[in-house]
Amino acid sequence: MAHRLLRDHEADGWERSDFPIICESCLGDNPYVRMTKADYDKECKICTRPFTVFRWRPGRESRYKKTEVCQTCSKLKNVCQVCLLDLEYGLPVQVRDTALSINSNDAIPKSDVNKEYFAEEHDRRARAGLDYESSYGKVRPNDTILKLQRTTPYYKRNRAHICSFYVRGECTRGAECPYRHEMPVTGELSQQNIKDRYYGVNDPVALKLLNKAGEMPSLEAPEDESIKTLYVGGLDKRVTEQDLRDNFYAHGEIESIKMVLDKACAFVTYTTREGAEKAAEELSNKLVIKGLRLKLMWGKPQAPRPESETSEGARQQAAVAHSGMLPRSVISQQQNQFQPSGSGVQGQPPPMQYFNIPPPPQLDRAFYPSMDPQRMGALVPSHDGENKSGSEKQQGQHYPSQAMPPPPPPHGQYPHQHYPPYGYMQPMPPYQQYPPYHSAIPPPQHYQHSGPARPPPPVNAPSASTTPASASSGSAPPIPGLSAASGSSHQ
Amino acid sequence: MTGQTMPKVKTNRVKYPEGWELIESTLRELQAKMREAENDPHEGKRKCETLWPIFKIVHQKSRYIFYLYHRRKEISKELYEFCLDQGYADRNLIAKWKKPGYERLCCLRCMQPRDHNFATACVCRVPKHLREEKVIECVHCGCKGCASGD
Repeated sequence: MAHRLLRDHEADGWERSDFPIICESCLGDNPYVRMTKADYDKECKICTRPFTVFRWRPGRESRYKKTEVCQTCSKLKNVCQVCLLDLEYGLPVQVRDTALSINSNDAIPKSDVNKEYFAEEHDRRARAGLDYESSYGKVRPNDTILKLQRTTPYYKRNRAHICSFYVRGECTRGAECPYRHEMPVTGELSQQNIKDRYYGVNDPVALKLLNKAGEMPSLEAPEDESIKTLYVGGLDKRVTEQDLRDNFYAHGEIESIKMVLDKACAFVTYTTREGAEKAAEELSNKLVIKGLRLKLMWGKPQAPRPESETSEGARQQAAVAHSGMLPRSVISQQQNQFQPSGSGVQGQPPPMQYFNIPPPPQLDRAFYPSMDPQRMGALVPSHDGENKSGSEKQQGQHYPSQAMPPPPPPHGQYPHQHYPPYGYMQPMPPYQQYPPYHSAIPPPQHYQHSGPARPPPPVNAPSASTTPASASSGSAPPIPGLSAASGSSHQ
Repeated sequence: MTGQTMPKVKTNRVKYPEGWELIESTLRELQAKMREAENDPHEGKRKCETLWPIFKIVHQKSRYIFYLYHRRKEISKELYEFCLDQGYADRNLIAKWKKPGYERLCCLRCMQPRDHNFATACVCRVPKHLREEKVIECVHCGCKGCASGD
């Protein structure tokens, strides 16, 4: 354009800025960034006006990145100055405009002088404080956008470019070559044009994303009508039960929420099937809590136990069935569920367990003392003292009464078997033949989480204590029954 | 670049001090090597890479004279000064070699913070065990690492 040799820095239309407008991915993962600032260093790729170029390296494995378009252009479309993707959602301009039904293209001229004039006018107005067009803040996000948006920064785009000499086989720099020695990925997506991307016209990446959005599968409801539980995956310690509750309560009454932090997942159970279906419909592909995109699927019930002679057997089966997949608090919650049902109706099949986890590996019956973490002194608050003694006793009991313990499971399974002794043993006390012990040791401590569940154990304990003989003989049948149950439960 | 003059053509005006005969042949060889490097075609090389042999040979010549005088003590001070005046070695570069930590300095540009962004030295001055990339060729002189440690 004009040769502006005598610059009047206040009056000129060239752009000066203090800090670039960039997205998180382009800024990089390193909190310490050294950036150079060069006034009027290059011309904007869109409006061809000189602007301040910032240059930095976004992380150790990255190339140097610099601002490509001026701030005026980036503000007009609310995009990052480097990657030209939306600042809020990380999506191409075309995708965002289609999804939110914005059409910003009318006002912006594209021909040479018009475009420069428009940009300068816009810049001048913005600097004068006139609120030219800040419509991007007012738009409500809709479903599609939420499904498509990027939730974590994507640093792969900061890698070095492909070494073109390597592609031809001629790279003589060898090890010190800073460019990537990989073959380029060709295809329709590689023909991109910065102007097309900026104006949101004919952008192959955007078209691909939009097609994908159209076809994103919705969560299929499972055939089994009794399933009212949703599996939420991808959890982090930042996501609390309260967060889940807040997100899920709107769709129906929540019966329970079980968080399994070991597996970074949670199970949300509704009281009604419709509530669960509604939640699945609303939240699938859109669930983002605290910046974490969470995966939503239907919960899968565990295969029903083949036999449950007594409610105790059923309880034990269900309890053992976790086989160390669930922490104590969860198991005791389930105990909570079982006790009422167990005490209420004898022989009722246990309620289904909802696990998206594969069935536990085959567990052998023998639980060596060394396999019980508590016995070896690992601290678990509020279960420690009682369990230690409880499990010790039970161990002592078990071995003489059971058949000789099978050989210890292969080494790899040890980590999984953290909890079985706990879950396994827990229901034992009321039914074992140490009645004085058990009435002495407060079972309430044992079942700390299951308040209403307290009645059953003490009920059984006194009965066991009053009939020690029958209890001792009565324990014999439960034990083989138990071992049979346990044997069958660990399919 | 380094402010030195071209090595003077041997005329009758120049009076060579004693001891010159001992070092003359090596210096003539190095001069010829420099002539070759100056006339090398630029094909197949990067723009910055074309200058690297020049820096390398300057370093080599200066090294020769530095060792002869300061380490092996085989030439007289007079001869040493003569070589520096005539431009067979770079006086400023040798001055740096006398300082601790700069014994292996490749060229004067690599340690000049004014020549770099963020007022640092060139990457070749960083010891290998502190660097992230192990194999580098610095852009000024093609140096692969001139820290005194390695």
